[in-house]
Amino acid sequence: MVGFFGFLRQTLTELWQAVLPPRYFSWQTVIYMSLFSWLVSLLARLLATTAFTVGLLATISWICLALGVGWALEANKVRLFGIPIAPWVSGAILCLFLFGSWGGRWLQPALVSWPLVSFAVIAVPSLVSWDFDLKAPPPMVRQQLALLFCLSLLFSSWFQFYFRIQSWVRDYPSLVADSVDHSAFVYRFPGQEVALPAGVTHLTIAEETLREQIDNKPWPSVERWLLNLEGQRQALQQRVQSQMGRDADLEDSLWRLDFQPLSNGDGYTLKLWAIWSGPAANQNGYYLEKTCLLMPINRGGLVETENTAPGYTTTQWSTLTCDLQTPRQAGHPRGTQQQG
Amino acid sequence: MPINDLLSELGILPLRAIAVQSMLLMVAIVLEAMVLRQQLRLGYRTSMQYAATLNLLATSLGWIAFLALEAVLPLALRSQVISYVLFNRFYTNSWYDVLPVVVVVVAIAAFFVTYWIKLQGLLWLLQLLGQKPVENTPEAIEGDRRQRYERARRAQIEGRQGGSSPRALAMLQANAASFTAILVLLLLINQIGVLGW
Repeated sequence: MVGFFGFLRQTLTELWQAVLPPRYFSWQTVIYMSLFSWLVSLLARLLATTAFTVGLLATISWICLALGVGWALEANKVRLFGIPIAPWVSGAILCLFLFGSWGGRWLQPALVSWPLVSFAVIAVPSLVSWDFDLKAPPPMVRQQLALLFCLSLLFSSWFQFYFRIQSWVRDYPSLVADSVDHSAFVYRFPGQEVALPAGVTHLTIAEETLREQIDNKPWPSVERWLLNLEGQRQALQQRVQSQMGRDADLEDSLWRLDFQPLSNGDGYTLKLWAIWSGPAANQNGYYLEKTCLLMPINRGGLVETENTAPGYTTTQWSTLTCDLQTPRQAGHPRGTQQQG
Repeated sequence: MPINDLLSELGILPLRAIAVQSMLLMVAIVLEAMVLRQQLRLGYRTSMQYAATLNLLATSLGWIAFLALEAVLPLALRSQVISYVLFNRFYTNSWYDVLPVVVVVVAIAAFFVTYWIKLQGLLWLLQLLGQKPVENTPEAIEGDRRQRYERARRAQIEGRQGGSSPRALAMLQANAASFTAILVLLLLINQIGVLGW
């Protein structure tokens, strides 16, 4: 009996030795405090205490984690290219804690404030003494802090610039479809699939509209429809704009729709164009082209069963067939310079 | 491939801007440190620190100004900015004809605003480091009236000289040197495509 207890005690002591921090004032202590307060916050949540209690415990846990990890990295002299990374990791943990619970687009404020929070992590120990008094560090440290502050402001601006570019892309999604190889500012890693410009959607809507109006209609009415080209163009443009209007982007006003019938045997080749008049990599801009075939057909089989009199000319009906492809062409379909 | 997914999730990155800006900043800092060292008779280390701090300050303030202004620009002008950033060229719209004028005016304004920021920043930095100009030191010895009178006169003369104090002149030269170097480098990059684009 005594032997068993002795063994248990020895094991426990060894365990305790392994887990116990070498000194009370060390980074292990802080990490344990963080773990402890996290566990207690879980317990508090289980016991359904007030949100304030849970939040307070979780906050203490996060701050202790940031301090402990920073301390550990600093104590072990972890360096990346000769630069101590402890404040940056601590800053990152603090930013995760501050903005991670926001939900939605929390990444933007977190990344933008990361360099500044890291700067604060560096600056606070040399500006505030242990009894929470402001203290004036020596000029050498002050100079370094000023330099660091400007540097972290610059890093923060770079993150902000990245997010600004993303918001441009959100406003003008077709910009992604263009090549940014000539840019002096941005770079896109090669090998990514590039999205289609929104003009493809415009062309699809235009095709549907045309199908409603001139597909499977008596040929003479189609010919009449084609007489008023300018009017049909405007009507088509308005129709597409109103269809796109549901999820309107800023860039919708930069797409212009146009079409031109070219006679082709008995019928016509319709060229549908979505013309981009916004920023483009190419000097002359670009447009997307959809080719449709508008042909008259005899409804022969149907008419013959009706047993019509010989010599009676059967009514011709129209069919509209469109290519699926919308090849992208440089320049302007009419060769003229477009106005913005 | 997860790495590719991550990259396409990130989308368009301002990596070239960061690379070019880091390079230009280094050139500017070295040049300005040389000018400040010669004109103000500072130590090597001190002049480098001053130049680095002031240039980083001016650059970050410039970014903040750009990001703030860009958000309030009219849409047509804003899309020209987008065109320039993404495609390195302006596109044809209602602003196209006046853009060269706008660019030149903005560049000249940037020069003087940067100069002002750097000069002001230098004063702040000196104050922060406790190296105040002689005439402002609070622990000035309370000498006899004549001595005080002398000092006041000297301060008055220095005050009258104002903008042409050695510090302002040195900063102007430094700023001019760095702007010239940056302009030349940017022209070279754009003309020859040194960096492979």
